[in-house]
Amino acid sequence: MSLINYAQKMFRENIREYGMFIALFIIMTVFAITTDGLFISSRNLVNLVNQTGYIAVLAVGMTLVIVIRHIDLSVGFLAGFLGAVAAIAMASWDLPVYAVIPLILAFGILAGLLTSFLVAQLGIPAFVATLAGWLGYRGALQLVTRSTGTIIIKDETFNAIGNGFIPDIPDIGILPGVHKLTLILGLLAIAFFVTNEIITRNRMQKKKIEVLSTGMFILKLVFISTLIGGIAWILAGYQGLSWTAVVVLIVVIFYDFITTKTVLGRHIYAVGGNPEAAELSGISVKRITHVVFGSMGMLSALSGILFAARLRSATTIAGTLFELDAIAAAFVGGVSAAGGVGKVVGSLVGALVMISLTSGMNLMGIDISYQYIVRALVLAAAVIFDVATRSREK
Amino acid sequence: MKPMAEATPVVEMRNIKKNFGAVQALRGVDLALHHNEVLGLVGDNAAGKSTLMKVLSGAYIPDEGEIYLEGKKAHLSSPMDARRQGIEMVYQDYALANNLDVAANVFLGREVVRLRLGPIGVMDYGHMEQETKNLLNRLKIDIPSVRQKVERLSGGQRQAVAIARSTAFDAKVIIMDEPTAALSVAAIAKVLDLVRELKAQGSSIIVISHRLEDIYQVSDRMIVLRQGRKVSDTPVEGDIHEFRERVVAYMIGARDDFRERTVAG
Repeated sequence: MSLINYAQKMFRENIREYGMFIALFIIMTVFAITTDGLFISSRNLVNLVNQTGYIAVLAVGMTLVIVIRHIDLSVGFLAGFLGAVAAIAMASWDLPVYAVIPLILAFGILAGLLTSFLVAQLGIPAFVATLAGWLGYRGALQLVTRSTGTIIIKDETFNAIGNGFIPDIPDIGILPGVHKLTLILGLLAIAFFVTNEIITRNRMQKKKIEVLSTGMFILKLVFISTLIGGIAWILAGYQGLSWTAVVVLIVVIFYDFITTKTVLGRHIYAVGGNPEAAELSGISVKRITHVVFGSMGMLSALSGILFAARLRSATTIAGTLFELDAIAAAFVGGVSAAGGVGKVVGSLVGALVMISLTSGMNLMGIDISYQYIVRALVLAAAVIFDVATRSREK
Repeated sequence: MKPMAEATPVVEMRNIKKNFGAVQALRGVDLALHHNEVLGLVGDNAAGKSTLMKVLSGAYIPDEGEIYLEGKKAHLSSPMDARRQGIEMVYQDYALANNLDVAANVFLGREVVRLRLGPIGVMDYGHMEQETKNLLNRLKIDIPSVRQKVERLSGGQRQAVAIARSTAFDAKVIIMDEPTAALSVAAIAKVLDLVRELKAQGSSIIVISHRLEDIYQVSDRMIVLRQGRKVSDTPVEGDIHEFRERVVAYMIGARDDFRERTVAG
C-alpha cells in the first residue's frame, strides 16, 4: 500500500478525530486572513488561550460526564460560587493562597459528590439534579456576594493564575525579546513526545502488534513536533507561557492519561457504552458515577479559580452560562450525545474552536447577534458531522 | 445418592425452588452437568429455564435448594461472585460494550495491569491484545483485528466475541442463553461450530435454546422444563424428527418422566 493510500485509509477511519483539528485550522486561517494577521498575533493567541482556560477545564470534566450518559448543568454557577468563596477566604478569613486553592478544590469535589449521590444513589436524572444545583449555586453565589457586591482579590499570587506568565531565564544575549524558557519547554516537550512515541512503537513491534507504517510514523512525528514548536515560538514572541495555559495543559495531559491508559478510564467508557454489561463485568456503575461527578466538581472549582484570578475579583454573576459553553465545546470536540464516545483532547480543541470564533468575530467587529448565530451553526454542523460519520461507519 | 469421585458433576443443582410472589417459577429442579458435556435446556416460555440459569449465574438467590461446584457446596451471591467461582454466562444480548474494541471487551472488568500507581492501574495493552489474538485463533474465530470496535462487527461475530470472553479465564461452566436467537442461518452454523470447538477443547456447557435443531446438533444430553419442573432428562439420540416429537411431547405436558415426585412433593 502506498503512503498516500495509507494516509487516505487512516484519514477515513479517523475522520471524526481529525475533523475538529481541521475545523480549528480552517477557522484560524480564515480569521488570520480577514483580520490581516491580527488574529494569529502572539498577543491575541495568548489571550485566546487564557480565555479558553476556564471553559476548557469544564469541558474536560463535562466530556466524562457526557461519556457516562449524564449531563451537568450546575458547573457554571458552582464555579462562580466557589470563586467567590475563594475570594472571601482570602479577603475575610485571611487564609494564604496555598491553603485556599486546595480548600476550594476539595469543596468542588464535595459538591460533585453531592450531585452523584442524587444521581447514582437516589436515581434522580442528572438533568434534574444538576438543574437544582444550577438554581442552588446561583442563589448561594448571590447570597455570599450580597453584602459586598464584587469582591476584589488583592493576592497577586492568586491573580497570576489567570493573568501571569511563567518567569524567564536571565537574558544571555541571544534571542532578545523572546521568552527563552517557553522555547526550552517547547523543545523538551518535542523531545519527550518523540522518544515516547519511538519507545511505544518499538514495544508494540516486539509484541507483533500492528503499528503505523514507517513513513506515516515519521510524518506524524514531524507534524506534531512542528505544531508544538510553532505554538511555543508564537507564545515565546509575547510573554511566554501563561500560568493558565500551564494549568490547562496539566489538566488535559492528566485526564488524557487517565482516559486512554488506565483501567479507570476503560471502565468509564465501558459504563458509557453499556452500563448493564459493565455492571455484569464487575464494574460498579455507581462508583464510576461518583468518580466522574467528583472530578467534574473539582474542575468546576478550578474553573472558578481561573475565572476569579483572571478578573482579579469575584462578581455576582460569575459563571453565568459557563455550563452551556462547556457542553457546546464537548460536542464540537466530538463527544457523542449517545454516550461512550469522546476524548478530552477533542473537547479542548472544541473549546478552542468556540473561543476562536468569538475572538475572531470580535476582531472583525461582527455584531454580537450574528456571533451567536454563527456559533449555533458551528455547533449544529459539528453534531451533524458526528452523526453522519457514525452512521456511515456502521 | 453419592456419586463416585471420578463422576462428580462439574455442577449439581439440587431441589432448586424460586417463587416470585405467588408465582412458583421453579418447583424443585435438579440439574447435573458433567465434565466436558454439552447440556441442552429447553422448555416453553415461562417454563423456568432462564430463572434456573439466573440462579446458577448468581443473578437470583434460590428460596430453597443447593448448588455444588465440583462436589463442593457453593454460595453464589451475585453474577460477579459466580464468575469468580468459574461460572460464565453468555447473555442473549451479548452484554458487550459496543464502543470498545474486541480486546477491551474480552478483558472487561479483568484488565491486565502493567503498572500500579495507588488506585490507578496502567493497562498492559500489548499483553491483552496478544492474549485476545491467541484466544480467537484457538477458537478459530475469524475477526480481522482485535482492535476492531464491537459496533462494527456482525451479530455472529459479536456472539463469537461474547463466547470467547466467557472462555478466556478458565471457566468451569459456560451458560449460553439463546446463543442463536437473532442470527442469520450462516451465523448460526458458525456459533454451533464454536460450541463444538469448545467441547472439543474440554469445556462444560449449558445451552438454552428455543431452536430444537440447535440443541439436537450440539448437545449430549437434554433437560426439558415445564411449569417450573423438570419433565425429562435424557441423552440426545435418534433422528431429528423423532427427537423433535419427543421434546414437544414433554414441552406441552403429554409426557412427564418425573410425575411421581411431584405427587410425592
